[in-house]
Amino acid sequence: MSFKDLGKVHVIIPKLVRDLESGKMGRRDFLRTSTLLGLSATAAYGVVAKVTGEDLMPRAEAQEPTRGGVLRVSMNVKEITDPAIYDWSEKGNVARHIVESLTQVGTDNITRPFLAESWQASDDLKSWTFNLRQDVKWSNGDDFIADDVIFNFERWLDPNVGSSNYGRFALLRGPNDGDAIIENAVVKVDDHTVQFNLREPMLALPESMGDYPALITHRRFVEEGGNLVENPVGTGPFKLERFGVGQEALFSRREDPYWGGEVYLDGIHYIDHGDDPGAWLAALASGQVDVLYRLFVEQVPAVQNMPNLVLLETPTAQTGVARMKVTEPPFDNPLVRQAVQKCIDHDGVLELAYQNAGVAAEDHHVAPVHPEYAELPKQQQDYDAARELLAEAGYPDGIEITIDCVAQPPWEPNTCQVLAEMMRPAGINLSVNIMPGGTYWDRWTTAPFGFTSWTHRPLGVQVLNLAYRTGVPWNESSYSNAEFDALLDQASGIYDVDARREVVKQLQEILQGDAVIIQPFWRSEFTAMQPNVRGFALHPANEVHINQTWLDIS
Amino acid sequence: MVIFLAKRFAFMLLTMLAVSILVFLLLEVNGESVAVKVLGPYSSDEQRRLWLEDNGYFEPAYVRYFTWLGSMLAGDFGESIRFRVPVAEVLWPRLLNTAILGGMVFLIMVPLSLTLGVLAGMREGSALDRTITVGAVITTSIPEFASSVLLGFIFVFWLGALPGTSGMTEGFDLSQMVLPVMVLVLYGFGYITRMMRASMAEVMQSAYIRTANLKGLPYRRVILKHALRNALIAPFTVIILQINWLLSGVIVVEFFFAYNGFGRLLLEASLNQDIYLIQACAMVAVFVAVGTQTIADIGYTYLNPRIRFT
Repeated sequence: MSFKDLGKVHVIIPKLVRDLESGKMGRRDFLRTSTLLGLSATAAYGVVAKVTGEDLMPRAEAQEPTRGGVLRVSMNVKEITDPAIYDWSEKGNVARHIVESLTQVGTDNITRPFLAESWQASDDLKSWTFNLRQDVKWSNGDDFIADDVIFNFERWLDPNVGSSNYGRFALLRGPNDGDAIIENAVVKVDDHTVQFNLREPMLALPESMGDYPALITHRRFVEEGGNLVENPVGTGPFKLERFGVGQEALFSRREDPYWGGEVYLDGIHYIDHGDDPGAWLAALASGQVDVLYRLFVEQVPAVQNMPNLVLLETPTAQTGVARMKVTEPPFDNPLVRQAVQKCIDHDGVLELAYQNAGVAAEDHHVAPVHPEYAELPKQQQDYDAARELLAEAGYPDGIEITIDCVAQPPWEPNTCQVLAEMMRPAGINLSVNIMPGGTYWDRWTTAPFGFTSWTHRPLGVQVLNLAYRTGVPWNESSYSNAEFDALLDQASGIYDVDARREVVKQLQEILQGDAVIIQPFWRSEFTAMQPNVRGFALHPANEVHINQTWLDIS
Repeated sequence: MVIFLAKRFAFMLLTMLAVSILVFLLLEVNGESVAVKVLGPYSSDEQRRLWLEDNGYFEPAYVRYFTWLGSMLAGDFGESIRFRVPVAEVLWPRLLNTAILGGMVFLIMVPLSLTLGVLAGMREGSALDRTITVGAVITTSIPEFASSVLLGFIFVFWLGALPGTSGMTEGFDLSQMVLPVMVLVLYGFGYITRMMRASMAEVMQSAYIRTANLKGLPYRRVILKHALRNALIAPFTVIILQINWLLSGVIVVEFFFAYNGFGRLLLEASLNQDIYLIQACAMVAVFVAVGTQTIADIGYTYLNPRIRFT
């Protein structure tokens, strides 16, 4: 296959194509890696079609989309003042109609250009050049330019802002917690070109730019009040009409043409039905909304019994981890953590707590759907070993521990209850402290033992960087391991999936061996919608992308 | 009469004052945690200290209490942590919504239960009496969270006749009121009915009713003119006190049907530890409780001339 028609491409791309041709690399891995390295999604799909003869392009809608209608979505409406400090995908979903990201991770888990139309990485993956779209205008009439991007990155990497992007883009700042952005880390080449210079190689830079807290606000966002609700200046196709926390968010389509092409819906209406999953389903069943943000696994049978609704399912890298704070007794003793780990039958938890809708996990937070996942020997439940470890740790008569856990969604407390039952035979008495969301999420990083749900991320190294690197804000277990950090730096810079897998395998082994987390399973996500909603797919990270969604009114 | 009213109001104020001290102490004594709530978990110690200083947390407790009480009286409840707007901005509209819900419940529940109570109490032990009594006991025994599910299943999922939630996002919609009102009426009417029945039955046994009957007055006239007024005294108190029950009883119903009222607000405020909002909600709830109690006392005295205004 010739590369001339692909234009100037990253040096690795030809090797990837050869791997694809020889069957060494799967088509999904090819799509993911090649688009990450700057190949446009269309070109990447084209290569796959040529090489494998398979058509992977999303099938065209049989019907011509019709314009009009307001899509009503049932979802919690949370406060959205400052995108930099978002900690819920719901916040990102509402804000995304106003402010947008440089890249977008599609419902197929492939990253595509968005506000950035293309990018090139240096061969060592330490320097990335992003070319911004030139036809994008802010709703206040300003042009979208490199200064906007630089303003946001400088803000995210300011340790006083408290943005999760501080960990996400850690390679653009000093290595220690509290360090500021490195000089020349984000450089304006011209009005529509930005160069990123990282202190270590990083593969997932475009992926990270598509994550929900990486929404680009206007360069004068802080100057003009720093409040997205009061001053909703954005590049997105919609404008905010009404907003009330806990109630609703109503958008209408902007009059001026949208840079991303035609948008079919006249508006979007998010309606907050509170925390009762029964109310969400009742709203859908009685036609008060068109789509649910999510459907709990417990309600899937109910929807299956309603033939007038459409059930959507997607396998994800979403999970829940029972993480132990390695700085707090008794979990500062690795023997205690390993004893806890020995009690768990992962398949059993999946079946009891999540109706088998997913796959068992292995306590290292890299999912089988991640390209660099390496299979480790299967863990075995072993009560004798658990008791021995406990005795060695100084608890021959067993131990009393408590896990903090959020009340909703129900699978989380259910999982904790199952864990408690599994630990009991080894003499570990686990009490489950179930608390409301607001209370739990205020202390999720400080509780000695807590059960935290983690959202989907396309690459395994991404979540390892966010949650297990020394000192990053979301490192809820306070895990700190220099060897792990060094390997993680290394893995984050390896383009070749097979080579990366070798390093990630070591990371998996370290994390599993240190028994920082009990991770029972990876779960599938569900939602339901009315049959007349077209062009809507369930996103593995619960993002709502509706720029191509339309309502069949006929 | 004036002395009596003054006494009642003085008592009401005293109760509210006592409760305000409790509310203040319970929720504000730990300034540090308030600062964490307001500034977020990633705020620095320095930021928190500055915030506490700005908000007068280093003043003596009694100074803070009076400052707090003063601003409460002036209608300034502080800013809600969850909603990021002044508490009053969310509190009053939500309270109005609950008043609408409660008002509709009363409009249906009171006439219904009084009528049924009179019908049952008129002829104690009759088939009609037994039917009404058993019915009232059954509906009162089903808690709101159970009847919400049951009625929701019947009318929303099975018959598809009513909307499933009552958020009123497109403006007021009467059909969205049906289920919440139905649930509350079903639960609440039995109690008043049984009070009315007992009271009516007692009056019907009294000598003056027997006399009225014996002197040949039409039965209808005996009931409406002579029995009813006396029989209303006891149920009156119960009815007024139902306002109190409604304010807390609506929490379940508002949560279940996603109705934007006071109950759901209070629940969300508690779940999110929205301190200023909880304080404001608590004070409103206390005001309603003490207020209805006072009205019940005054009304009772007025209805029953045997109690003198002293």
